Amino acid sequence: MRINLLVPACLMILLAIVLAEFGFFDGARLLRGLRNLGILTSEMIPPDTGVLPVAGKALWETVQMSFAGTLLGFIASLPLSVLGTRHLFSPLVSGAARFAAAAIRTIPVLLWAIIFVILVGLGPLAGTLGIGAYTVGYLAKIYADLFEGTDPEVIEAVQSTGASKLHLVRFVFLPEGANAILTQLLFMLEYNVRASSILGFVGAGGIGFVMQIYLQTLEYRRLATVLLLILVVVLAMDGLSAWMRKRFLLTAAQ
Amino acid sequence: MSGIDSNDIALRADDISFAYQDEAWILKDVSLALPRGKLTMLMGPSGSGKTTLLKILAGIIKPQRGRVVVLNHAIERRDQRRLAPLIGYIPQQLGLVRNVTAMENVLMGALGRCGHGKTLLGIFPRHEIEQAQAALDLMGIGHKSAETVFRMSGGERQRVAIARTLLQRPQVVLADEFVSDLDLALASEILGRMRRAAAIEQITFLISMHRVGLRDFGDHILTLNDGQVAPGSTDRFYAQSSAEARS
Repeated sequence: MRINLLVPACLMILLAIVLAEFGFFDGARLLRGLRNLGILTSEMIPPDTGVLPVAGKALWETVQMSFAGTLLGFIASLPLSVLGTRHLFSPLVSGAARFAAAAIRTIPVLLWAIIFVILVGLGPLAGTLGIGAYTVGYLAKIYADLFEGTDPEVIEAVQSTGASKLHLVRFVFLPEGANAILTQLLFMLEYNVRASSILGFVGAGGIGFVMQIYLQTLEYRRLATVLLLILVVVLAMDGLSAWMRKRFLLTAAQ
Repeated sequence: MSGIDSNDIALRADDISFAYQDEAWILKDVSLALPRGKLTMLMGPSGSGKTTLLKILAGIIKPQRGRVVVLNHAIERRDQRRLAPLIGYIPQQLGLVRNVTAMENVLMGALGRCGHGKTLLGIFPRHEIEQAQAALDLMGIGHKSAETVFRMSGGERQRVAIARTLLQRPQVVLADEFVSDLDLALASEILGRMRRAAAIEQITFLISMHRVGLRDFGDHILTLNDGQVAPGSTDRFYAQSSAEARS
């Protein structure tokens, strides 16, 4: 019992130390912040709906970027995750594939966007490729781990029919992992829709560019419209993925 | 002992010993012979080494000592594609892919002789599909071929697993405890179907089992205790086949 309490207590103390260092317990500063929040909110209301056509168009571009980038990354992640599956390939091959995925994942999506702006110039192509790159690094690892977690009895049984490695991927790994593959893909799509809204900050296309302008010119009422639009898209994404889960995922209750 | 020749022996194992790394021996000098076209029961309590023995006979794991000969082919290294026409293996939990239909599971039995081209798109030759349907019919679940496996009952899944192995058309089928979760009536029916398949197709079955009530379904009984085979009715097959191998 004493050990059970020790770990959370230590964590709380550590948290308090870090927060104190960052000024979290500075009452005057927090009060000032609260007052500023009030001012900012009042300057955002009512939202300026006049920018809807411009913001809507930019947001549509963001949605296109996240769908295209996620799908590109998903397609590229499948072969990489198969190569990273230790049941199928030697430690050298699977290690190299896993290292590649880890290296890609190390670079945040915003940095990928900057890299692709340098490579292919300003615009949504850079954003799409940036999202795709990050998605590859993330999904390749998740899927490789998923494939390795496949029930060894199923693998042994299908292998004993004389199935090749490609057969195993097609007939065992993909169908056995279908639920998790789809769940992770939807998670990635939701994440990318949210993440891609700031890619415009670095010139990689989409709503971020518009947001940046309104922030810099202190047009908070226009910014509020943009934020509301993003909220609508995120909620729509939640609805879409909930529908897709219901439609495609196998559940015992069906 | 007269009347036995090497054609009557489907599988022979000589002095198999196996241990996981530095742990104690799970199998110690196990030797056995399976008479062709017969159903042999491998009896023994849980933990006696039945599963390990079956995996060694199926070429899935390699023993530290000893060798396995299937229809005059020595199993020296793990090469499942070469072994597929010889040995079929049904694991304890059946090894079915749950998210796909019974038919697709059965068709996996044909993967060893199908190339990559169309099968990777899920397209199989017409005659394989017909034979898969025939195997499901033989198991009495032909009408359930389009059903997803995870919606099927335990007994139906057993039949799908057998149908998959039948489509593989191996000479020897090794099945691990695979009727243990069923009630006696259903287990008896499935074993009866396997016995008929053994007789009609001249398939040799080795089925591991810890339920004594079902032992009489076997033509022969092997008993594994503490990693060793107790003397039993297949001894004369082994004696005869090893004498022939020496001569």
